[in-house]
Amino acid sequence: MTSSFSLPPSPFLSRRNILKSLSCGFGYAAFAAMAHEAAAKEQPLNPLAPKPAHFPGSAKRVIFFCMRGGPSHVDTFDYRPGLKTHEGKAPGSVGVGLNNQNGRKLMPSPWEFKKHGESGIEISDLYPHLSQHADELCLINGAWTDIPNHPQALVKLHTGNFQFVRPSMGAWALYGLGTENQDLPGFITMKPPARLGGTQNYGSAFLPAMFQGTALGVNGNVGIGNIENKTVSTPQQRKQIDLLQKMNKGLADRQPQNSEIDGIIESYELAFRMQAAVPRVMDISEETQQTQKAYGIGSGQSDDFGRMCLMARRFAESGVRFIELTHEGWDQHGGLKAKLESNCGQTDQPMAALIADLKERDMLKDTLLVWSGEFGRTPAVKKDDGRDHNATGFSMWMAGGGVKGGQRYGETDEFGIAAVKDKFHTHDFHATMLHLLGFDHKLLTYRYAGRDFRLTDVSGSVADKIIA
Amino acid sequence: MSPRLPLAVLFILAASSAATAQDKAGIAFFEKEIRPVLVKECYSCHSANSKEVKGGLLLDTREGIRQGGETGKAVVPSNLDDSLILEAIRHEGLEMPPEKQLPAETIAKFEQWIRMGAPDPRDEKSAPVRRTIDFEKAKDFWAFKPVSNPAAPEDKTGWAKSPVDQFIAAQLSEKELKPVADAKPETLVRRLYFDLIGLPPTPAQIDDFKQAAEKNRDKAVEELVDQLLSSSHFGERWGRHWLDVVRYGESTGMERNATFPFAWRYRDYVISAFNSDKPFNDFIREQIAGDLLESDSPEQKFERLVATGMLAMGPKSLNDNNKENFAMDVVDEQIDVSTRAFLGITASCARCHDHKFDPIPQKEYYGLAGIFRSTDTLFGTSGTGNRNSARILAWADGKAVPVAPAGDGGKKNNQSKKNVKKQLQVAEQKLARFEEQIKQNPKLADRLQKQIAATEKQVAGFKRQMKNSSDPAPATEQKNREFLMAVLDTSNPSDTQLRLRGEPDERGATIPRGFLTIGSTGHVPTIEKDGSGRLSLAEWIIQKDNPLTARVAVNRVWQHLFGRGIVATVDNFGANGDRPTHPELLDWLAADFVTNGWSIKQTIRTIVTSRVYSLGGEDNEVALEIDPGNALLWRANHRRLEVEAIRDAILQASGELDIEPEKASIVQTVGDGIVGRNLQADQFETNNRKRSVYLPIVRGNLPEMLNLFDFPEPSIISGSRDVTTVATQALYMMNSEFMMTKSESLAKRVLGEADMDDSARVALTYRLTVGRLPSQEETEMAVAFVEETTASLDEGQSKKENDNAKTKAWSGLAQALFGSAEFRYVE
Repeated sequence: MTSSFSLPPSPFLSRRNILKSLSCGFGYAAFAAMAHEAAAKEQPLNPLAPKPAHFPGSAKRVIFFCMRGGPSHVDTFDYRPGLKTHEGKAPGSVGVGLNNQNGRKLMPSPWEFKKHGESGIEISDLYPHLSQHADELCLINGAWTDIPNHPQALVKLHTGNFQFVRPSMGAWALYGLGTENQDLPGFITMKPPARLGGTQNYGSAFLPAMFQGTALGVNGNVGIGNIENKTVSTPQQRKQIDLLQKMNKGLADRQPQNSEIDGIIESYELAFRMQAAVPRVMDISEETQQTQKAYGIGSGQSDDFGRMCLMARRFAESGVRFIELTHEGWDQHGGLKAKLESNCGQTDQPMAALIADLKERDMLKDTLLVWSGEFGRTPAVKKDDGRDHNATGFSMWMAGGGVKGGQRYGETDEFGIAAVKDKFHTHDFHATMLHLLGFDHKLLTYRYAGRDFRLTDVSGSVADKIIA
Repeated sequence: MSPRLPLAVLFILAASSAATAQDKAGIAFFEKEIRPVLVKECYSCHSANSKEVKGGLLLDTREGIRQGGETGKAVVPSNLDDSLILEAIRHEGLEMPPEKQLPAETIAKFEQWIRMGAPDPRDEKSAPVRRTIDFEKAKDFWAFKPVSNPAAPEDKTGWAKSPVDQFIAAQLSEKELKPVADAKPETLVRRLYFDLIGLPPTPAQIDDFKQAAEKNRDKAVEELVDQLLSSSHFGERWGRHWLDVVRYGESTGMERNATFPFAWRYRDYVISAFNSDKPFNDFIREQIAGDLLESDSPEQKFERLVATGMLAMGPKSLNDNNKENFAMDVVDEQIDVSTRAFLGITASCARCHDHKFDPIPQKEYYGLAGIFRSTDTLFGTSGTGNRNSARILAWADGKAVPVAPAGDGGKKNNQSKKNVKKQLQVAEQKLARFEEQIKQNPKLADRLQKQIAATEKQVAGFKRQMKNSSDPAPATEQKNREFLMAVLDTSNPSDTQLRLRGEPDERGATIPRGFLTIGSTGHVPTIEKDGSGRLSLAEWIIQKDNPLTARVAVNRVWQHLFGRGIVATVDNFGANGDRPTHPELLDWLAADFVTNGWSIKQTIRTIVTSRVYSLGGEDNEVALEIDPGNALLWRANHRRLEVEAIRDAILQASGELDIEPEKASIVQTVGDGIVGRNLQADQFETNNRKRSVYLPIVRGNLPEMLNLFDFPEPSIISGSRDVTTVATQALYMMNSEFMMTKSESLAKRVLGEADMDDSARVALTYRLTVGRLPSQEETEMAVAFVEETTASLDEGQSKKENDNAKTKAWSGLAQALFGSAEFRYVE
């Protein structure tokens, strides 16, 4: 997979190929129906066309905030007053002696937590803007994952499996639902890390390549690859495409049953439209000064993430199915106070603005927002100003898209070391996300190597209490 | 007798005196809290009366519940951790009942019951339900039956030219279908060139064939086929097909993407094996066990070591901090590639449980696992965050020595002899201390058992290292050495244990190394005594009675010549795979293949000289109605070219193709390291004009064009490629630098033909791209385009400006032809 761009927005498979791949997986019926319809209209099949899920989902699209490095949950969204009461003690001495707690002392959060909104859920002072939307947020305090190492945990978060190369969650979403705007990629990921699994985190693995994510902002590339021609003017290029299409139509006349030629003809028309559509959507200068200001654009620390969030809204509005935004630098083994404050400062206002903006446009109800790192950080520390990796318990949040806001779902123990109630494993997250999109995660499958694979492998439960 | 016995007896006596009352309470608890739940929630799938007993698990007797099912024991009295039923009802991993989770109170009762010792009055014998595989019955499945050698049915119509045709004709006439007319010579010649060497014919080659075919078509085909089969470009084409199957890659992929700087040696080995028509059984043997074969010369020894690189170059999860997990993942990957590539069966499905669809018990998986666990996989790699760096093989003066890779990750392996010796002494002293302790206090024997085993392992390891580092001149210090990825036997080959549910650390019974029952017809080799068993595994795969090996191989060949295998699922001949469209033909080809000394070239020759191969691609209304998918091959399929062929054809037409093989790979030039950490993705970008098979295949970082045009994910075994048509491909054809520069080169090439007028230049452009002359109408259309474009671009008066405009106009025509559907399809 190249890093600069990949997702094909308008794909055409031959009917034979589609049926070959899908004859047993999800959507055999859906595809059979489509194939039938396409045959009736003599149109090529488009597996990226919007298609119905298993049942009407409350979310139509996903915006995923990936906080890369492992944000400290006890300093942000998991209020654990026990840390203060037992400050400086070893966790084992007060009854909790989990994973490698030797030589660690409980450290309370340097930040205050206050109740917010009508629901009164506690959020730390690091998020003054986001906490204004407390009643929209479902804080998930009982999240956990398998391994407290960045590479495995990040790949697990994205694909459900770090042992083998598997499709990413965005690819699954696209495979299941198709996308609404054929002039744009259906799965966009902004600033994904080049390492720690790299393209695997937005790859399609054994799903057809058309379902993989399109990466923006990798290696300094801001846009999508090959989207413009630097030497041929647009009118001249149009003439050239007209010539090419005459050639293609000539072949189609000679081979009337070869529907793949229609696919090629269509792919050029779509590509030509994309050249105009993509730069337009990515041009945030169309937005008012007021909007840009609301996202924190132009105001130093939140400028960058503000642009990403505003672009995410524009993508969402234009029909992109799955949008991921990565914010790096949450690995505070040291310098917790300064670094966490700046991380939150950079992301707080933009995310809050995005929630407000989506709400105003009546899109929050069907846009699922998810905030998560690959794991959390240890409540008990070895150093005064740093926390280490904590996979047994951490926090995420979800909002919109049919999520019941204004609640804390799940709990860690008294100190935030391990999830103890309503535990929410990565597989449960995937199952719940797919459920909100309208899928039974056990039935969204793809046959590869003689087996029906799914995002959740052989596990995962939908967390009903999260759902409104 | 152990001196501890009296104590134990005492304990039992004490316990039993209070037993009766407790028992009663326990049974009452079971009857009130547990049995009703079992009956209501579990018996429908897990009792003697269930329609189908799921997971081999019976919960309706004490015996059944304690013995457990395929995944392990459901209830272990007083042991909450090992009682799988708790995991299941808590929905942690296993999920039972599947649709809903039991209330927390009920789960708590089960915990309490198990803590009480799981009192259970149900004394009945459990019905024998463990799913056993009836291998005799399993062998009735078509793929597991011996290969028959059917006689080719007679074709009364006289259409058939060869036995292959006779089988095709028989099935066509059954449906009352008639094959369409033979392909035109210019169509057939393009098909043959692309299929056999992956390059288009030049205009001169097209003319030669047309002339020869006019005289004697069959003879012309035969001669051309012989010529193409002996071309060195044959291996570049067919070798690449094989590299897809064995997931060839030049880095580990996964979360720490470390380079394999020497993987290209295996690529070259494969290309040369196809060029020399190495018998396919030898080819298999060398890839699985090349290191164990007696060789006639150092060159042969080297080549055979390189062949085993196939087992070493799979994707690896280098950051895994569980060594056992890592080791078993490597083994799994090796089992997967060996069984799917050569046998078309998915044995790795049996890692966690018996295969759900095919007759492969989990036990037999671990028989294979023992073979690969006894194998040292020398894949090299280095870099920070790499917890699983391995050694790599250094070759000098006809000798191979495992050494640490060049990068920093191999420090651990690169210890001086002195250091290792010291560590060995420490470990041996430790062992002696343990022995002393046990002598003084025999009770310690049990407690120390684990530590002793671990230390013994260490000692063995250090001894092995001593052996390696005792090489007189350490390979790392020699100048003229070459490095290669390979496998070797470990110094202590042994059987391994079954892992419950595939969990690396949950060991069951030790399973003797062995093969799969299902492929074992005829002679079954025995595992060599002092080795891993890989050589016997190879012999088992290639023994002529193995029902799968030859069928799978010829089916792959067929697929590349017709666009679809006789069995469409080329990597899966199991129950979930497709059935053959022409079972008898498949068997005939397989038998013929073995008779001809496993010659791939001979099988290709047999197929491409048949009449069915040379059919035209035209439609036929009647046939379309009866067999719209052309499964019976009444005409030629329209096939999209692989990306390598598209790219190579563009390079050839532009005149820029550098036809010499690539020496090594840019990955070797870049060297050891981790992509995205100390190596950057763009370091692998090359302005390469070589054939596409030589492009660097760094996992997760494929060359852009390959990625866009359905090159298979190189971490995954894929014997057949997707064919997708998407707008990003069109964008690449319209705007990429590669397409812009190659179109310009082709434009300059035709403009350089000073004697030609524009019509002749259009004809040449057509011949160089789509291999045929344009029609009158097409010529007019192209000339008009070129004239109009030149006029609109020619702003000035000077000759230079005029030339510029001309070049741009002709580039436009070239680019349109490169982008056309006709260019990327063969008929």
